[in-house]
Amino acid sequence: MASDTSGAASSAADLKLQFAPFSSALEAGFWHQLTQKKLDDYRLDESPKCIKGYYYNGDPVGLPTRLTLEFSAFDVDGPTPARCCPAIGTLYNTNTLDAFKTADKKALLEKEAKEIWDAIQSGAALKDPSILCRFILLTFADLKKYHFYYWFCFPALCFPEGIKIVQQPSVLEQVFSAKQIAALQEAYDGLCLRRETSAVPYFLMKYTDDTVQLAPLGDWDTFFTDTKKVTVGVYDPCTLSQHPGWPLRNLLVFLANRWGSKLDTVEVLCFRDRTLQGSRSIQHSVVFQVKLPDLPDNSVCPKSVGWEKNPKGAMGPRMVNLSECMDPKRLAESSVDLNLKLMRWRLVPTLDLDKVVNTKCLLLGAGTLGCNVARTLMGWGVRHITFVDNAKISYSNPVRQPLYEFEDCLGGGKSKAMAAVDRLTKIFPGVNSEGYNMSIPMPGHPVNFSQATLSQAQRDVEQLEKLISEHDVVFLLMDTRESRWLPTVIAANKRKLVVNAALGFDTFVVMRHGLKKPPVSPKVSAGADSSPSCSSASSSSSTPAGSVPSIPGSSLFSNIPGHKLGCYFCNDVVAPGDSTRDRTLDQQCTVSRPGLAMIAGALAVEMMVSILQHSEGGYAVASSSDDRMNEPPTSLGLVPHQIRGFLSRFDNVLPASLAFDKCTACSPIVLDHYEREGFHFLSKVFNSSHSFLEDLTGLTLLHQETQAAEIWDMSDDESI
Amino acid sequence: MSSCVLEEESFHRCCQLLLQQSQQLGDGWSWEPVQGSQEGYLRKTALRSVAIDPRPVRDQAGSSSDCGQEEEQSAPVASADADTIRSDAEDEDDEDEGVCAACDGGSQVLQYEYHVLFSCSYRTPVLYFRASTLEGRSLSLEEVWGSVHPNFRVRLQSSPLSTVTQQEHPLLGQPFFMLHPCRTEEFMRPVLQAAQDQHRPVNYVLTWLSVVGPVVGLDVPLQYSTQLHPAASVCMDPADDGPG
Repeated sequence: MASDTSGAASSAADLKLQFAPFSSALEAGFWHQLTQKKLDDYRLDESPKCIKGYYYNGDPVGLPTRLTLEFSAFDVDGPTPARCCPAIGTLYNTNTLDAFKTADKKALLEKEAKEIWDAIQSGAALKDPSILCRFILLTFADLKKYHFYYWFCFPALCFPEGIKIVQQPSVLEQVFSAKQIAALQEAYDGLCLRRETSAVPYFLMKYTDDTVQLAPLGDWDTFFTDTKKVTVGVYDPCTLSQHPGWPLRNLLVFLANRWGSKLDTVEVLCFRDRTLQGSRSIQHSVVFQVKLPDLPDNSVCPKSVGWEKNPKGAMGPRMVNLSECMDPKRLAESSVDLNLKLMRWRLVPTLDLDKVVNTKCLLLGAGTLGCNVARTLMGWGVRHITFVDNAKISYSNPVRQPLYEFEDCLGGGKSKAMAAVDRLTKIFPGVNSEGYNMSIPMPGHPVNFSQATLSQAQRDVEQLEKLISEHDVVFLLMDTRESRWLPTVIAANKRKLVVNAALGFDTFVVMRHGLKKPPVSPKVSAGADSSPSCSSASSSSSTPAGSVPSIPGSSLFSNIPGHKLGCYFCNDVVAPGDSTRDRTLDQQCTVSRPGLAMIAGALAVEMMVSILQHSEGGYAVASSSDDRMNEPPTSLGLVPHQIRGFLSRFDNVLPASLAFDKCTACSPIVLDHYEREGFHFLSKVFNSSHSFLEDLTGLTLLHQETQAAEIWDMSDDESI
Repeated sequence: MSSCVLEEESFHRCCQLLLQQSQQLGDGWSWEPVQGSQEGYLRKTALRSVAIDPRPVRDQAGSSSDCGQEEEQSAPVASADADTIRSDAEDEDDEDEGVCAACDGGSQVLQYEYHVLFSCSYRTPVLYFRASTLEGRSLSLEEVWGSVHPNFRVRLQSSPLSTVTQQEHPLLGQPFFMLHPCRTEEFMRPVLQAAQDQHRPVNYVLTWLSVVGPVVGLDVPLQYSTQLHPAASVCMDPADDGPG
């Protein structure tokens, strides 16, 4: 293609004139406006539309010769940018890609060329020479994908034998004296002033050693008395020193058609006018002389060319994908990310957002806590959120559970897990959310009524195991204690970070479970630090009695590494069982102050984010209330084990406690049994009374041993 | 202190002076009024031929999570679909001999659009800009950083000017990049102070633009301050002159 041309050119030596074609240049605003026009105005109308572009002759060397279309292209009567020449074009916007592909490009080109030819023959081009510089734009706008297909054509009429160069192109300053150049510049500015414009596309020129005279094209007959040699000026957008730009091409055909027989040679000034660093120059304009060939038949429209090549240099259309800047979903995504990035720019430069955004979160429970946790996760840009819940939305839910609405309660209510996913996707289409409408088997809730219930429980366990494996963080947000047992065991086994939130009436606990060391490393026997776990703050309502060494709490419970931290069940001395049996309604339901779930849900997510920012993640040493004055371990601050909040006092404390070696969920013996026996072990837990786990872990024995000690403890500051 | 902020009225006067000078120097600034309001902004477009550094840039904002998309986006745009559409418009063998050979370097031509607006909350001028390819595809923040010369990048990213953020254009409502004004007063203060001490006139907007512009490829010719009558650049409101 291009190489062929240059080969041909060099063989024909320097005889034939060659032009630099236009490169189409579109501003983003053009596509925005085309989209608006298509949606509001054109709709299915495929008829040709008049649009306007412009070109400029002041580019620095090296830039391509451009025809630019911007936002204002559809306003044909609107102003053209200063010092630019307008070019009128015809827009063909097709309704389908197929119509775009099959459009008869040859016919379109010939139609446009015919109009130019008609303007040449009728003399209309003499009055308005801008008719000579036209374009066609064929488009198809795929507004589902925001892909825009387009193809420009800059119609040029051709001399069959090309145009012979009589005198090689030279830079103006080699041909003209400084005086002449100054006179030319002055004459051009004068012409612009007279024409009340800031750019004249074509003009006539006469000069002596001292003076330069310019006139509009229409003044030809009065301006030139001698037509042996005439000089024409063209506003030239090209920056190449050896070639003129495209606008000259049709002008030469026009001259040949109108005065060809009278003209001997034509001198052409490619007028280039640039301002660099505040100084204007026209010295680099180009001058050359050509001999215009005769047009074979002055009544027939000459052959025309002009479809633009694509970036690969092939004859074909172009496509631009603007989904990034036009697709509302993509815009929402980038806005969410940028909003978060603002934190880094100014407040927390070392914040690692990728860690947060890429964390896959499993939310067990899609009620008050689940809804609030999900919303805060979205705020942090977390993209992967999975819900597990077996409940349906009831009429009391929407006021406290911000992902649901009244409509969701109708007809028996939608499944919470599914409705939550729908709502998240509505709030932010970029989220990757899934819902699982399933039950989590619980200790003390037998599953062995029938083979069917047993195998259902087995499937539920397998599903939960799979989900926990596939996620990075597990949030325990259920409304019963015992439903947290199974995920605690599975997550401990799989070494997944667990964030647990639980509500009382006006108290809450948000905690991370101790993250067990990877199974390959020799197991640290919890017995080595076998002091029963106990909260360093007075908040724990279930301080286990036992042989607590009389060491001040602050030293014993400070600097606990993440793998030695306790879980939700470590502070309990009874195994989880059916807590809903023999309870009144107010005891069964979560009855808590309405603001509590929002506070606790938000804290659960913020705790997760802080943990993720710590270099050791879930193994981070637990910060305590005492660390509030110290240098924080992460860019976001402390990484506590627990946050216990008391709404009545508007107060939070940050206790930390060790894993309990007799814990019914995370003690080595429970995890060993689960690892070895799997569902067989789990089903025994589900089907048995709570004494099964208590016997297994040694809690029963502990109870018996501590019967006596309890009496003395009671008299202390703790009340049980 | 008070001398380091810019009142909206002074901003407009500074802009008018800058426009006058720009017209004399042919620097291409124009004033774009916003219909139905007193507001408006300075606007200039420029074309730059940039060698895009293909290496992924970790800008301050950069999260590697969107690198994948970025690369996909900045890949050559002609899709297979577009490729399959061929022309029968011109006979392929009948090549147009009137066309000169394309002289395309390895660099990419980018269209830049710069806007100078007044920020009421910071009481400083703010530089908004966007850049697009010749196809009209806007550049992402990563690509904008990619167009900054590597030698500058590190320095800029750790300087107060590095706070390039994406924001909705306050007057047009379209996504633009902006140089965040939070440090503007900080670096303008010494300049203004010195000018005030020496009773030297200074055009706040021009001086500020000459500092922030080059970061995003916007050159402010030296002629603004050398060729023109210095009196033409007085611009600080005397009412603002307080004891610094």
